[in-house]
Amino acid sequence: MNLYSNTIMNTAKFMNRRRFLGQAAAAAGTAALCTQQANANPSSDSNAENSSWPVRFQPDATRPRWYPRDMPKAGEVVHEYKIEIDLIRHEILPMVETYAYAYNKMVPGPVFRVKEGDWIKVDFHNNTHDFHTIHWHGIEVPCEMDGVPLGTQYPVGYQQTFQYLFRAQPAGTHYYHCHNMTPLHVQAGMYGAFIVESDNDPVKAMFPYEREYTLALSEIDTNYVREQLNAMQQMGEVMDYMNGSPKLMEKMNGKMMGWFASREDFVQAVKNGYIPPYAQSMSGYVRPIQPNFFMINGKSYPMTDHLHIRSGENIRVRLIGAGMMPHFMHLHGHDFWHVCQDGAVLASPIRHNTIPVYPGCTTDIVIQGTNPGCWHFHDHSDISNMNNGVSPGGMMTMLMYDDAEQAGFHFKEIIAVNT
Amino acid sequence: MKNYQLPVLCMLSILATAAITPNARAQHTPIPAQPGIAPQIELDGVGIGTIELRTPRNTLTDGTKLSTGRINFSDSALLLGVSERLYRQGGIGSFVLGATTTDSSLNGTGTGLLLHQLYLNYSIPSLEATLGRTDTATRLIDFPTLRGDDLVEFTAPLDPFSSGGDIQEHRYSNQAAVTFNSKLRYFVNLHAQHLLNSVDAGSDQTGLNSYGISFRYMSPPALDDITRIPEWGVGYERQEIPASHGGANNVLYAGMVYNINPDPVDRVDLRLQDVYSTGNNLATFTSITDTYRAAANSIALSLRWLHSPFGTPGFQVALTGGYRSYQSVPRSDTFALALTGIKNLGQGFDLVAQYTFQYRAAAYAAPFGGSTDNSFQLGFLYNFTNTFNHHLGARRSLLNLQHQYIPD
Repeated sequence: MNLYSNTIMNTAKFMNRRRFLGQAAAAAGTAALCTQQANANPSSDSNAENSSWPVRFQPDATRPRWYPRDMPKAGEVVHEYKIEIDLIRHEILPMVETYAYAYNKMVPGPVFRVKEGDWIKVDFHNNTHDFHTIHWHGIEVPCEMDGVPLGTQYPVGYQQTFQYLFRAQPAGTHYYHCHNMTPLHVQAGMYGAFIVESDNDPVKAMFPYEREYTLALSEIDTNYVREQLNAMQQMGEVMDYMNGSPKLMEKMNGKMMGWFASREDFVQAVKNGYIPPYAQSMSGYVRPIQPNFFMINGKSYPMTDHLHIRSGENIRVRLIGAGMMPHFMHLHGHDFWHVCQDGAVLASPIRHNTIPVYPGCTTDIVIQGTNPGCWHFHDHSDISNMNNGVSPGGMMTMLMYDDAEQAGFHFKEIIAVNT
Repeated sequence: MKNYQLPVLCMLSILATAAITPNARAQHTPIPAQPGIAPQIELDGVGIGTIELRTPRNTLTDGTKLSTGRINFSDSALLLGVSERLYRQGGIGSFVLGATTTDSSLNGTGTGLLLHQLYLNYSIPSLEATLGRTDTATRLIDFPTLRGDDLVEFTAPLDPFSSGGDIQEHRYSNQAAVTFNSKLRYFVNLHAQHLLNSVDAGSDQTGLNSYGISFRYMSPPALDDITRIPEWGVGYERQEIPASHGGANNVLYAGMVYNINPDPVDRVDLRLQDVYSTGNNLATFTSITDTYRAAANSIALSLRWLHSPFGTPGFQVALTGGYRSYQSVPRSDTFALALTGIKNLGQGFDLVAQYTFQYRAAAYAAPFGGSTDNSFQLGFLYNFTNTFNHHLGARRSLLNLQHQYIPD
């Protein structure tokens, strides 16, 4: 079962998940967090006063419910996960495979689904010859846990493990991705959903639902990814070799990697003969990124998974803009309700039949089963409805009514990829 | 020989004609291709121009004396490669066409154009098959001289069918070759060649005249600078020289690259190759061709320092030496040295200089017309590579080396 198209309360089977109550082991890397006074009494549930529409405007709603630099206390729930990153082959379509950096060998990575306020502890282990992190996009983490390489942490190297520890807040649809060489690593598959559930969810109250779907929208330039991954493998191989040689380690210092302690160091290195890569590329023309496959949960049409609904049923669809392009998702034969943006409940649902999903944004919609049949749901920026320049394909799936036959709709879906 | 020395302008005019007559087809194609799907196109080139001072003056095979100074632009080349993914059985199919300038003495102007690459290649993970003209299958170690044909009589198994008028004939051949590999690191090459025949005018100038096998190891490209032995290989070649010219030659050759100082900033490496030939019973030289046919031993050695501040190559200094001796021809030794400096000025553009010296003992000097040569060259070198419609990865990419996936 694809964890991205399943019913609610999907526990993360992919992970070595262990829940325990009581004293939590504190990660060494987060020991410094104890120095700050935690909020003794957290503010109320982030949705508690907004459990029905219209939502009351609260100017201080962006304030974290719990102080982010707090540490787990006795009695609090801590979820432990193990995430590994591997280089794999990922099939987008039959006869189309790409190299991918995959969290737990999945593209996209596994879905995190936890209750608001629970603690998350992730042992992140790197099995590739490249550097990685996990950025918890939209989560109010302490700064050291934000996953920005050389900004908030050292990137995680080959066979290294970094432990992330933070509280899941605020409620809503969020996601995670690698923040090292983001244009490459996200295209190469390093993204996944992070869903924080609220006990007072106005969406569920207003539109009772049992089934929900998470659709991570992304795109890939397979040629860019292949060439760049090769370059990174090359550097990684050299670094592995260096590990056995203190002399080489001294030579291949951070400056050769393009890492500098300060702006002054960087300027001095340029004076000493360091050639920044952009200066080298300015000597000629460098091919820009040109995405050629457009995906929903790592697959392109016709291999995308369908959404299912019944007449009279509500389904919630969590759309994640995981890639670098905006996408304009259009549903045939229906209007739907836009209920949340970036995890936060909207002041009032907004009616659409086409909704933009921008890079880095999450958009929750509710579809109501009002028109039996099988309906296209696709990016209306038609360039994304192609597989390597050939239409139809790309970012497209179907909304399938389970009871379409009973309603008198007898058309059987045909997979059309043309000849 | 002149049948493949096409003037540049003639070739360009043919290309120009093709461009303006899109409906014209040069050849019949048995199975038409899908229109609108462009292959990957690679355009590579190297231009090298030097001012060269030479003493004593060069002498052509007909006795004509050349001037002391000249502008030398030989060994410049342009290559066009076309490749595509083969969707039926997998693998990659490609075609390459290229020409290089020569300083041929066969041409009245002293400069010619050799169609040095024209081959088709089929590759799958386990093997590569090549048909056409390309680098001789016996080419093993590249030495850091300015031009690939510098000191070639020491650095390569020689073409016993060459008249000596065009040194490039030792570097390229018509061949059918299959190269099997293990993990894209160990390669076994089986081949049959037609070594270019410029000496037997009117006789069989196209037939297969050389066969061989070679074994080669190549480290992952990323580790060239830092592994001790990034490359080594051995080979055997049988050259079918007619009995009237001393008989067949059996050639054994072996070589390696050894990093004395494996270092990404200051790499110092040693290149060593030995070419030993036996079987031919020539005991005197009556022509330059005889010097390629007689049983001999050649050894080539180079010491190179490559300085790459912050990992980007900045300059290179190399000393290359060669020594050749003959088993059955007395007083025929020869040796040569080349001191080469290259300073990188920017992307692919270098300032270059080279001094070479060669000594020839009396018997060897006779067909060449002099016992010593000195030359000094100063100039520029520009090399580039550009890929259009890029959709195929390099065969020996690290991804393929590490994971053995089908090249894509």
